Amino acid sequence: MTAIQRPAPEPAGDGPAGTADLAARIRLVARGDAAAFDAVYDQVAASVFGIVRRVIRDPAQSEEVTQDVLLEVWRNASKFDAERGSATAWVMTLAHRRAVDRVRSVQKESERELRTAVADVPYDEVAEAVESSLEHERVRRCLGSLTELQRESVTLAYYGGYTYGQVASLLGVPTGTIKTRMRDALIRLRDCLGVPG
Amino acid sequence: MRLGGNRARGREPHTLAGAYAMDAISAPDRARFERHLAGCEECAQEIAGLHEATARLATATAVPPSAALKERVMAAAALTRQQPPAVEDASPEAPARIPALGRRFRALARPRRTALAAAALAAVVVLGAAVVFGFSNGSMRDRLNQAQDSSQQIAAVLTARDAAMMTGAVTGGGTVTIVMSHSMHALVFTAADLHTLPASRDYELWLIGPAGDRPVTMLALGRHDMTGPVIASGLQAGDHLALTAEPAGGAPRPTTPMMLNILL
Repeated sequence: MTAIQRPAPEPAGDGPAGTADLAARIRLVARGDAAAFDAVYDQVAASVFGIVRRVIRDPAQSEEVTQDVLLEVWRNASKFDAERGSATAWVMTLAHRRAVDRVRSVQKESERELRTAVADVPYDEVAEAVESSLEHERVRRCLGSLTELQRESVTLAYYGGYTYGQVASLLGVPTGTIKTRMRDALIRLRDCLGVPG
Repeated sequence: MRLGGNRARGREPHTLAGAYAMDAISAPDRARFERHLAGCEECAQEIAGLHEATARLATATAVPPSAALKERVMAAAALTRQQPPAVEDASPEAPARIPALGRRFRALARPRRTALAAAALAAVVVLGAAVVFGFSNGSMRDRLNQAQDSSQQIAAVLTARDAAMMTGAVTGGGTVTIVMSHSMHALVFTAADLHTLPASRDYELWLIGPAGDRPVTMLALGRHDMTGPVIASGLQAGDHLALTAEPAGGAPRPTTPMMLNILL
């Protein structure tokens, strides 16, 4: 055992979203199957809305972006390639990218905005986001296994929507260090969560 | 770690893998990293693995959106044309319109294939009336063969926050589906199974209301009994949407009985 406390990987399952089903449904959606899209919506809408709202904050804008993301799933279902990752990752990557793009296009981030925003972002927010379900508990526990700098980097970048340069500036750490911490942190999360890859 | 070491590594795009997987990079960095990814299978695999991790960060935040959102999404999807699959004969032309999400999503940006060109002419077009009316999906592709210059405008209405869908029956046969956005003062009109008119007559769509009777457009019957989509903009309070069969070429004001009359 290393000096760093490292929880055993969680069993690699399909997760709460049932990712294997999701992949099959997305393949049906690619053929124009509206019933499958209905099921995909039910399966992913809360997660998409959750992460989009986490980044954007404003609920009305978050619903707009959520709608865009789901329509993109409908429109581009034929582009999903199961060999390149899980269906959940495909959808969530689209969702997060869209949310971040919206924030950056709307917000000409001034130093002041950054400073006020940061006060309420870090760990508490994750704790708040992470309710009591098993999935949430896993994620919370794995975030807890990161070093403080890793955790803050991930939280500010992923939930806060900041660039690594902004994160470096917020934390007063060189950008090279932040880049490295971000990568290390995700690798560790990946291993802790027992996700394939 | 020495600063010099960091600098040297900073030029190595691969150190950006974590930042990239969390979208924590500027647009130029993103482009640079994606060029790197395109030539590095190992990196693409690493990104795929990191995206599995970030996906779990996302699902941990799940909160149900409003119930109304589902209605809007389903209505918009029903009227949104799907992208054809990429075919493996990739020509080297630069893609570009759609932001590539790294190697695994590169297919998104591939140029459309000739075989699908006709179907792909319209970017966001339209007409999943198949879904609305419960047609079988296998025949959808054939039904969706119409290019529309106004696809951007149409897409904007379909994805408007207040987009609402209505359907109506046409006297003499046919069903109409509209998606309307009051905030955009516009609606998207589609019809299915309109009867063919004698050569001396054409369908004409109208907005009728306190602001006067305004012709929207003549309707050309589409292939496979599908008509539209067309956009009607400049909606005003109290408007009705109406359809008539006018003398060929159309009329400045409705001169024949209304075959459809929907209060908007």
